[in-house]
Amino acid sequence: MKIVKEGVVCRESGVGEKSAACDIRYSAQDYPSASDTRHPKRDTRSFDTRPPTPNVRFKTLLATAFLLAATTLSAQDIVIRDATILTITHGKIEHGSILIHGGKIAAVGANDRVTAPANATVIDAAGKFVMPGIIDTHSHTAVEGSVNEISLPNSGMVRIGDVLNNEDIDVYRQLVGGTTTALILHGSANPIGGQSQIVKWKWGHPVSEWPIADAPRTIKFALGENPKSSNFRPPPGIPAQYPQTRMGVEEVIRQSFTDAKDYLARWDDYDARKKRGENPIPPRRDLLMETMADILRGKIDVHSHCYRADEIMMLLNLSDEQGFKIRELQHVLEGYKVAKEIAAHGVGGGTFIDWWGFKAEAADAIPYNVALMTRAGVLTSVNSDSGELARHLNQDAAKAMKYGGLSEEEALKLCTLNGAKQLRLDHRLGSIDTGKDADLVIWTGHPLSAYSRVETTFVDGEIVFDRQRDLAARAQMATEKKDRLKKEADDEAKNKKSGRPGKSDDEAKPEVTNE
Amino acid sequence: MSRRFLCFSVFLLLASVPCFAEAPGVYAITGGTIHPASGPAIDNGAVIIRDGLIESVGSAVAIPLDATIIDVKGGHIYPGLIDAMTSLGFPSASAPRRRGGGGGGARTPPADALPETSPSFLAFREAKLTDDDVDAKRATGVLTIVTAPSFGIFNGQSVALNLGGGTMESRVVRNPATQQISFNPRPAWTYPDSLMGVISYIKQTLLDAQQYSAARTIYDKNPAGYKRPDESPSLEALGAVLRRDVPVVFVADSELMIRRVELIAREFNVRPVIAGARQGYKMGDELKSLGAPVLVSIKWPVAPTSREDREEQPLRVIRDRQLAPTTPAVLAKSGVLFALVSGAGKTSDFVPGIRKAIENGLSADDALRATTINPAKIIGIDRQLGSLDRGKIANIVITDKPIFDKEAKVKRIFIDGRESKVTVEDEKKKPGGAGTAGAGAATSGIDGSWSFVVKTTAGDASISATLHVESGQISGTFSGDRGSGSIGNGTFDGTTVEFSISGRGKEEAGDWLFHGTLHGSNMEGTVATTLGTFPFTGSKK
Repeated sequence: MKIVKEGVVCRESGVGEKSAACDIRYSAQDYPSASDTRHPKRDTRSFDTRPPTPNVRFKTLLATAFLLAATTLSAQDIVIRDATILTITHGKIEHGSILIHGGKIAAVGANDRVTAPANATVIDAAGKFVMPGIIDTHSHTAVEGSVNEISLPNSGMVRIGDVLNNEDIDVYRQLVGGTTTALILHGSANPIGGQSQIVKWKWGHPVSEWPIADAPRTIKFALGENPKSSNFRPPPGIPAQYPQTRMGVEEVIRQSFTDAKDYLARWDDYDARKKRGENPIPPRRDLLMETMADILRGKIDVHSHCYRADEIMMLLNLSDEQGFKIRELQHVLEGYKVAKEIAAHGVGGGTFIDWWGFKAEAADAIPYNVALMTRAGVLTSVNSDSGELARHLNQDAAKAMKYGGLSEEEALKLCTLNGAKQLRLDHRLGSIDTGKDADLVIWTGHPLSAYSRVETTFVDGEIVFDRQRDLAARAQMATEKKDRLKKEADDEAKNKKSGRPGKSDDEAKPEVTNE
Repeated sequence: MSRRFLCFSVFLLLASVPCFAEAPGVYAITGGTIHPASGPAIDNGAVIIRDGLIESVGSAVAIPLDATIIDVKGGHIYPGLIDAMTSLGFPSASAPRRRGGGGGGARTPPADALPETSPSFLAFREAKLTDDDVDAKRATGVLTIVTAPSFGIFNGQSVALNLGGGTMESRVVRNPATQQISFNPRPAWTYPDSLMGVISYIKQTLLDAQQYSAARTIYDKNPAGYKRPDESPSLEALGAVLRRDVPVVFVADSELMIRRVELIAREFNVRPVIAGARQGYKMGDELKSLGAPVLVSIKWPVAPTSREDREEQPLRVIRDRQLAPTTPAVLAKSGVLFALVSGAGKTSDFVPGIRKAIENGLSADDALRATTINPAKIIGIDRQLGSLDRGKIANIVITDKPIFDKEAKVKRIFIDGRESKVTVEDEKKKPGGAGTAGAGAATSGIDGSWSFVVKTTAGDASISATLHVESGQISGTFSGDRGSGSIGNGTFDGTTVEFSISGRGKEEAGDWLFHGTLHGSNMEGTVATTLGTFPFTGSKK
């Protein structure tokens, strides 16, 4: 549901007000602190209990500090001792231990059942809770430039994976909230958006190490108001972009698959003629058509933005007609109305727990959606669509116990295992089981309590956030910053004294631009 | 003999009376320190020029009888500097540009539908070099440039030019020199309007060029029975890139962009040259193993003027700004072939920018190589230019002090063996220039209070602003319908004005980028916003 243009601001003005899910994106060049001051994060929920974002400048600083600290950690064996372990798949283990070896969970169980090598680092987690890293199946964090290629009804050739930005400070902030894996989606400006990217938040690592190697390829579809340009219009002089109606959205998707079938036929014909010993001119390779073809071949999973029951049914029917598979319906705010049909198609749903009414098409959203879909057999997750909400998805999961009475374990699955299944990565993510990736979060209390906070976050067995380390690094970072600014100011003063104004000391040359 | 006598002139540091020959003649430049760039400096040698070429260089060369002797006693003799990446002769990249249509079908538009530039665009045909451009450039010691526009995605084919007089045709050293690609998204609603779109677009275009070349090969061999392929000058031009005949300059400043370039270059097996490379300091060894030469832009990042703004910046940004000028030193240490170029910087930034690299650890010898023989190698003109060696083109700069010294002045220049005039700054002062001291061109037209009206789709927005220009940089404050605040990123080059304001209106928030032209006490142009681009007018109060 997020619309971000030019990497600056997101707005969604369906009913003339800012969406709760709307937040501000930073590019690598931006200064988070300054931007935050200019565009405070908005939350129009009537029962907003969150404190205002505190001292962003400070956070930026500490995050930078941690970048240094994190890279020095090795993949040594670690054992977490005496914690309450929320395994997700096999209940809760009181006084339990987890052995991390080679980035994987090597053993999990009661303290006396887990033996660790003598040289393993021991983390005493007495009184603390451990859960698997949170999985956010709807993120727009860590994207350089716009998250929308807005210019075409189908921009399936573009790839979020090409523009990952491992310096986005929101990533670090999300690790502080326990989120370790994200599906970074293209925006919802067109019926078929770009290809999305599943990553781990491997803060401090080169961006090439962020994508999960065996994760499926994914693509964003979008239904409803956004892809028909209700919420953003071209300036004067640029014609309105097709489609302008829900009918048009459906037709763009249908036509794209029809075109892909033609494209495949052209290549089949070429291959056949080659086989016959002819020397045909090869057809044009079209990156868009190859994307569509790969969806038909089941090589790319579809994650579709949607709100209303009618458009959800449209897409389910269209997938039957054209023969493609939808992996997850995103937002799916009216999913409770057609939950049986969604379940029957084996499609998952990733939704907000309690965001509603922020525009006309969200008018029928209810907080019981999660529980109702779960009870109807829909594989359901809660996800963020927001760099801010991604910092506390555990709290959104907890609300599902209040709205609809999910059990503790069902609630925890909403932000862990269910997301892993929707991403088809549950063989390595989403629960604390031997052999899975050591993406773990140590909490000061039960993660479904609003009073708990994260002490340590692991990704692939490596500590990527640790509250104590973070606190320790702050003074050092502040000193370096102070020293650097002072030296810069001193140098400038020196240059001024020697008669060279400002940054240009080239007073003799004529002022002719090169541009 | 009489000619020799007449033209004989003693090189005096402050009052030289050079003679400007009609045609390249025979000269012997003596008495100074020769810095050949291809070897160690030579004291009291001579450089002999004959008919536009260097005939000999050394400490014991015989002075030909027919040579005009130019004694530069105490001076320094260098090969002409080469600025291997400029946009001289082209308008600014930040000027808003828009194609007529917006919509389009679901198919990727072909490369030839590019709005401004394309792979077949020839800088040689399109560059509009003014005498002022050329004079200013030569006054910095740069006698050869490689120029291409900086706007568009496929910026087109650059050209290497000597900055002597005469026609464009006579100036050309190499054409095309390179194919140049920038990651510039187009305006919203024109594909590609995102960075990821730009990357897809580049890849699709290169795929199209592969297909075009395959189709042509089959068709040209035996056209019978085949549908005739459409002619495409752009895809044809990219054929030379795919055959590795022409290198591709990819404009990439950040580490992330350089890595993206690496992936594209590997996928299509082209010869990449990295340009910009502001974060090259982070990746010396990596660039070395990539094997791509680097054109380091001397347009170093600048700190915000106000102290508060600086303190609001995260350490990462401050560190990056301060380490960027160490890039040349890092690359030299890693053994990367690199040149220093002005890139998006102004002509007058070039030599100070090189000095900043020297202050940050680059040796003066490496700096000289990075502006002579290295760029010549990267562009593939090192058999003709880049050092003072026998047989090369006689592009020669004579300075009073070592060329990158703070007080050094370019005293005389020879291009293609002809002496050209060095324009002294005093002569360049424009009549009626009431600008502030040192600012040069007329900048006063901007200074003062302004009222702007922006015609947005949501109605008119009125903004008052106070603007001040110093050294081409605009600062100031604004207030009105979008709140108030300070003005950032402002530039003014005498006619074109650019600045941005950040604020919040009724319908939107974010930066508004003004781009306009000054007409007396009025201004007009466009404002780029998150809602789209709108016209604005301004008048001075």
